Amino acid sequence: MKLGVLSADRPLVWMLPLIAMLVAFTIIPLFYNIWLSFHEYAPFKRRLEFVGWENWRLLFSDVRMWEALWTTMFYFGVVLTVELVLGMAIALLLDAEEFGFGVLRTVLTMTLVVPPAIVGMMFLLIEDPEFGVLTFVLDSLGILDKSTPILATGSTALWGVMLADIWQWTPFMVLIFLAGLRSLPPEPYEAAMLDGASPVMTFRRITLPLMSKVIAVAVLIRGIDVFRMFDYVFVMTSGGPGTSTYTLSLYSWQQTFSFIKWGYGATLSLFTLVIILVIANLFIWLAKVRW
Amino acid sequence: MATVEYHKVGKSFGPVEVLHNLSLDIERGSFVVLLGASGCGKTTLLRMTAGLETISAGEIKIDGKVVNNVHPRDRDIAMVFQNYALYPTMKVRDNIGFSLEVAKKSKAEINQRVEEAAKVLNLSELLDRKPSELSGGQRQRVAMGRAMVRDAKVFLFDEPLSNLDAKLRAHMRVEIRQLHDRLKATTVYVTHDQIEAMTMADKIVLMKDGNIVQEGSPDDLYDRPNCRYVAEFIGTPQINFLSGEIISDGGQAQFRADGTDLPLVEGYAAHAGRKVTCGVRPNDVRVDPDGHIKGRLQIAEKTGADIQFHLDIDGSEFVAVAPRATFAPVGEEIAFSMSAEKMHIFDEASGERIEV
Ligand SMILES: Nc1ncnc2c1ncn2[C@@H]1O[C@H](COP(=O)(O)OP(=O)(O)OP(=O)(O)O)[C@@H](O)[C@H]1O
Ligand SMILES: [Mg+2]
Repeated sequence: MKLGVLSADRPLVWMLPLIAMLVAFTIIPLFYNIWLSFHEYAPFKRRLEFVGWENWRLLFSDVRMWEALWTTMFYFGVVLTVELVLGMAIALLLDAEEFGFGVLRTVLTMTLVVPPAIVGMMFLLIEDPEFGVLTFVLDSLGILDKSTPILATGSTALWGVMLADIWQWTPFMVLIFLAGLRSLPPEPYEAAMLDGASPVMTFRRITLPLMSKVIAVAVLIRGIDVFRMFDYVFVMTSGGPGTSTYTLSLYSWQQTFSFIKWGYGATLSLFTLVIILVIANLFIWLAKVRW
Repeated sequence: MATVEYHKVGKSFGPVEVLHNLSLDIERGSFVVLLGASGCGKTTLLRMTAGLETISAGEIKIDGKVVNNVHPRDRDIAMVFQNYALYPTMKVRDNIGFSLEVAKKSKAEINQRVEEAAKVLNLSELLDRKPSELSGGQRQRVAMGRAMVRDAKVFLFDEPLSNLDAKLRAHMRVEIRQLHDRLKATTVYVTHDQIEAMTMADKIVLMKDGNIVQEGSPDDLYDRPNCRYVAEFIGTPQINFLSGEIISDGGQAQFRADGTDLPLVEGYAAHAGRKVTCGVRPNDVRVDPDGHIKGRLQIAEKTGADIQFHLDIDGSEFVAVAPRATFAPVGEEIAFSMSAEKMHIFDEASGERIEV
């Protein structure tokens, strides 16, 4: 069959649509963003003006940026650790073939189809100072009382937001880990039993090493996601109280769309991208993830 | 050191029954070899002994205690798996030493025992590799090593030498036997290799389709196979069968096939008229111009120490072994004789041995 330009030895032709999309929606915006970071919007003149390195100088001396970075890092660390450990624990439990576990595994996927903004709203209600379930429970247990609303108190607001994230995304970890656990070969486990290894020992010496690639990929995907988290804080606290729950993405959003600083917003988002790239590559290198 | 008893053991995988009502006693410290065609249930029996498969019927006792519901961890059994079952992420060193690590032995002791085993197994060079970096035979030796450092009550070997070359196999055969003599551990050993079975076993158990056909010493099975199947399975080259009937010629029992009359030991006269199959081992005949077994030579195969004659006796194939200096041209008729005591007589219909 003659295909002319569509023959298999002209791969470029086939890839053209994809390349066009990539260029239009990723490459051009990226370069535009870089270009934008050297400019700033002048509201009265209603146009962008070249400002050189001014935005970058501003960024490094911006106390609020450093605060947001720290908040983001802290959120990143806690949420990722909890989701990782909890996800693995639940996955190990659900890996057993007990009655009803199949249903449970299906139920787990349900949190993943809810839009994060809606989950934020749900948790806003759950943590409501007046009628929130969590407030009630913590109040009854004497851990927190109604005078310190979870989301309106500087020391607890971020934890309140983390809760939503953990609720929604732990099942994601569970699903990935379950898929990993189910693909493990059964033979080493049989050998380990005969060698007398306890379940803990078996997990530590056999399951974990075998799962390391899966864990690394899960952490990487979730880590990048967590780092640019926006929805929950936007819906639940809008960065408050004060600036205590401003993450990098929320802060970029505020600078860009509330303060109409297109250039500085672009600089902040570029900076976020750089940090994500650095952390991700550091991790890939450390965990020896092969692509 | 322990006894292992199987009492009416059965195993089904869903609707498929692979072991039927199997009973067997294994004495303390004995070396039992399981033989049988592929798929007859040897691995299944070992795995049930180790606790890796549930027991569908009957019971298994170790040291007189029913272990049907005892966890594999608590059975104190070492096993070499047919598929090796190595720990893929551990180095050879840790693979072999894992059971010792579990038993909380000191680093020094683990090291020493691992290196000892590695030396016997020719693995010293490979201790720091991962299983994925080893050849099949090397992996199999690691699997052996894992069992060798154990000090278990019962050792189960599932074709542990199948992937080794002849020289290494001969060496390992001796090592395993010595290990057994040193530890006096009860051992169940699965193999397809006749030489392994004959040289190592205190007792051979021959299985067929999930049943035990015969159990006994290697000599028992070789000299007095209780049915045609056993006679065929044990001994290389394979036994020859001639079908015919027993006749009594003036009180003297004879086996009569087309054109061949072979004298039998006395007792068979009582079975005159019975249709039987006569088993003749290729090693039990000798070239003799006055012999009663006559056949036309098809091929002569030199096997090193001796020569195998493939003969045509009235259309059926017959193999005879002769010293290698024997010469005969292809197409020639050769005659063999054999002593009556060496003939195995089986009932033609049932295949059972006819004892006298
Ligand atoms: N998990 C299983 N599910 C269903 N059938 C099985 C299973 N394991 C084994 N069998 C069947 O049980 C029978 C015995 O298998 P087993 O592995 O014990 O044979 P074997 O004697 O060890 O053979 P080989 O010499 O080839 O290793 C076979 O017919 C096999 O198909
Ligand atoms: Mg097998």
